[in-house]
Amino acid sequence: MLARPRPIVIVILLALLAYAIALPFFGGAFALKFAARVMITGIFVISLDLLIGVTGLVSFGHALYFGLGAYSLYFISPASAAANGFLAIPFAMLLAGIVALIVGSVVVLTKGFYFIMVTLAFGQMGFSLFFDTKIAGGTDGAYINVRPIFSIGSQQLLNFSNRTAFFYFCLAALVLSYIFLLWLVRTPFGRVLQGIKHNEARMSALGFNTYAYKLASYVIAGAMAGFAGVLFAAIDGYVAPELLGWRESGLAIMMVVLGGAGTLYGPLLGAILYSMVEETLKSSSELTAIFSLVMNGATAKWLGGIVANSWSMALGFFLIAAVLAAPKGIAGFIEKFASEAKRSKAREIKPLLETRERAKAMQLEVENLMRAFGGLVAVNGVSVKFPPNKVHGIIGPNGAGKTTFINVLSGALKPTQGSIRLESEEIGGKKPHAVARRGLGRSYQRTNVLLPFTARENCALAAQAQFPSPFRFSNKWRRNEEEQAVEDALKAAGIAPERADMKASNLSHGEQRQLEIAMLIASGAKLLLLDEPLAGMGPEETGRVTALLRELAADHTIVLIEHDMDAIFAAADTLTVLVEGKLLAHGTPEEIRNNMAVREAYLGEWGQEGKS
Amino acid sequence: MDLVLIQLLNGVQYGLLIFLAASGLTLVFGIMGVINLSHGSFYMLGAYGALTLTQFTGDIFLSLALGVPLAFLFGVIIEWLFIRHLYDRDHLQQVLLTFALILIFNEAQKLLWGSYPHSVPVPGYLQGGVKISGLLTYPYYRIAVAAFCVALALAMMFVIQKTRIGRIIRAGESNREMVEALGIDSRLLFRFVFAAGVALAATAGIVASPLESVYPGIGEPVLIISFVVVVIGGIGSIKGAFVGALLIGVADALGKVYFPAFSSSVVYALMAAVLIARPGGLFGRAA
Repeated sequence: MLARPRPIVIVILLALLAYAIALPFFGGAFALKFAARVMITGIFVISLDLLIGVTGLVSFGHALYFGLGAYSLYFISPASAAANGFLAIPFAMLLAGIVALIVGSVVVLTKGFYFIMVTLAFGQMGFSLFFDTKIAGGTDGAYINVRPIFSIGSQQLLNFSNRTAFFYFCLAALVLSYIFLLWLVRTPFGRVLQGIKHNEARMSALGFNTYAYKLASYVIAGAMAGFAGVLFAAIDGYVAPELLGWRESGLAIMMVVLGGAGTLYGPLLGAILYSMVEETLKSSSELTAIFSLVMNGATAKWLGGIVANSWSMALGFFLIAAVLAAPKGIAGFIEKFASEAKRSKAREIKPLLETRERAKAMQLEVENLMRAFGGLVAVNGVSVKFPPNKVHGIIGPNGAGKTTFINVLSGALKPTQGSIRLESEEIGGKKPHAVARRGLGRSYQRTNVLLPFTARENCALAAQAQFPSPFRFSNKWRRNEEEQAVEDALKAAGIAPERADMKASNLSHGEQRQLEIAMLIASGAKLLLLDEPLAGMGPEETGRVTALLRELAADHTIVLIEHDMDAIFAAADTLTVLVEGKLLAHGTPEEIRNNMAVREAYLGEWGQEGKS
Repeated sequence: MDLVLIQLLNGVQYGLLIFLAASGLTLVFGIMGVINLSHGSFYMLGAYGALTLTQFTGDIFLSLALGVPLAFLFGVIIEWLFIRHLYDRDHLQQVLLTFALILIFNEAQKLLWGSYPHSVPVPGYLQGGVKISGLLTYPYYRIAVAAFCVALALAMMFVIQKTRIGRIIRAGESNREMVEALGIDSRLLFRFVFAAGVALAATAGIVASPLESVYPGIGEPVLIISFVVVVIGGIGSIKGAFVGALLIGVADALGKVYFPAFSSSVVYALMAAVLIARPGGLFGRAA
């Protein structure tokens, strides 16, 4: 998870800040303007990193909001007077934010490749709206004749016509934007965004409405880009449709990747590096100076002229070399050389009871449930009741519809027919996060934890799902309850304290499966659906997890699919046998063992083994 | 009414042309998993290539016969130089590298052909058009282009349905790992598919060159519209690309008649509607 920046990063950023603060004292007008442009671009690209690097949404239409921000300064400026900055900036952010909300509500439905293309298309839609119509000068763009002034009443506080004042305003805006994002990604809200990037299905199954989170991230990033746009329009006092176009969006992605996505400071460095490389490649004299270090003057001059003449081609080659040589960008280098992050300190926690207190869990009742895929009926008219505080096993040969059954129960698939009642509430057809909110948690056949996060962070995200206030920005609220839930879950699932702060990707397979159960406990689910929790475990681990499941039944209802027959017959209170999508039998392990139909249909081989 | 008819015919013909470009894009993504932003550049290079070749051959169809193999070869080279490094990388790096390729191709175009628009002549034997009514005629060349596109589409369907390479491509569409498990050299397959994609985009550029002037950045609208078509049709689906391209062509044409000020927004609105109803596209797997 994104942590506080490393000391080396803070040093670099402070050095850049000091340089920027000093720049107006020795830099000329051109340097100030160039630096202001880079800083505004910096705000734009870190807002894009919130989408790409933090939430995992590769938006190729982010310039739409940048351009709208820029155009809003034109819209709000009187023909030959200054706009009030106190109005212009909120107006720009509001306009960009509202458009982001409308566009976002559609684009966030899509994932991966579709998301890239759909955001690109919407960006182009915005571009053509300004390019093809006569709004704000159409193709030619429009001039903003007077720069904005910040005033309250007749009191003028700040005038953007003053280059130095404008420069410092941009610097302050960048610093505040960076600190804002740094804070945002470390709030409970931001942690969920990071979880979505790595495993959206898991986050949804934990009870997070991932659509709403992604949309919120999209709107925040859009409003920030609008903020950058309104400042950008104030540099030259000129806006053109190209500001919304796909090239601007593409260049912003370049800078994010060049700097290192998902680090926030990386894209900032990327924007600086990109602007400097572009500026150097455009200038034949600077190129000549660089080339003459390694060759004679005349050749250097000739080569410098050629490169500067086709600078965008040279830039293209530079970008290709950069992406091939440093896929993680500048930040990748910095992170590699910096020391390993210190482990977070273990906090003092209250001692836990050794045995779980009994508490009534939830009952699940399924009636005449059917799920078909086209002509194939995977679950066919199953009716069964899972009473609370028991361990219920579901068994059946491969292809019996067990996983489909669980997917319908957890909301991952809609039932074709029938009803599912959790306690007395109908949950059939509800979305996974809505089902999870009601107290039903699930695990997956393939281990499905958030690999880049530590075990503790995984559980903390799950615990966060317990207190149903989705958009939380405070780290303090409910902190103690959550930490208690995390420690309880880690301990209950048997994860050793010294392993809790290791990345999940470094845990053993068995530990990852235990972590998955720990996440379910931490999420406060009262009914656990486990899809083969024992798969791939050795006998010793199997024994440990089986004992854990029995223990958990004190305050949970457990429904699990399992192939390990010895383990499930020993652990379960009831067994449900599915064959070809139909319920073949339901009863205690003893009843199932003695059921002739089950033995014929399925258990034949095992029955003999078991007896021997 | 005649205007609507002409626009509809233009829309269908435009859609068929876009199908050529979009089919290349959807194949490259569906089989190789590569987002190719430089696809529009190959359309542009096709159009400029047609300009130069036609100066020598004097006939756009001779240029086509020469240009398509050249484009295929060019695709092989680009794949070998750049694209093959992208197979194991994420979308973000694919976007960056192919975007950088656009910068390079645009600059190359400027160096070779300059910034002024050019025109490519329609061959003498296809001058004029079919009389529709009164003063309105529909140009023979546009009819020829439409017929050519339909023939090519049918040929592609045949190749994909009936031949060995087609079977491999269909296998790749539904499951990329499967192709490798079947013991097919994926490096060769990818090189072939990418080059075929380049050839398709260039073919579209070549046959389109006499329809409008050839100018810098001619490929960019084609790229964007191809993306829209792929989203509507469903990634990796040739059939989807065909239906999507015709839908877009007709929507664009009708948009120009009924909402002239917002004509370019009509196709995006169509795309949004399809996405809300079917997030995986009309013929795509569920997204």
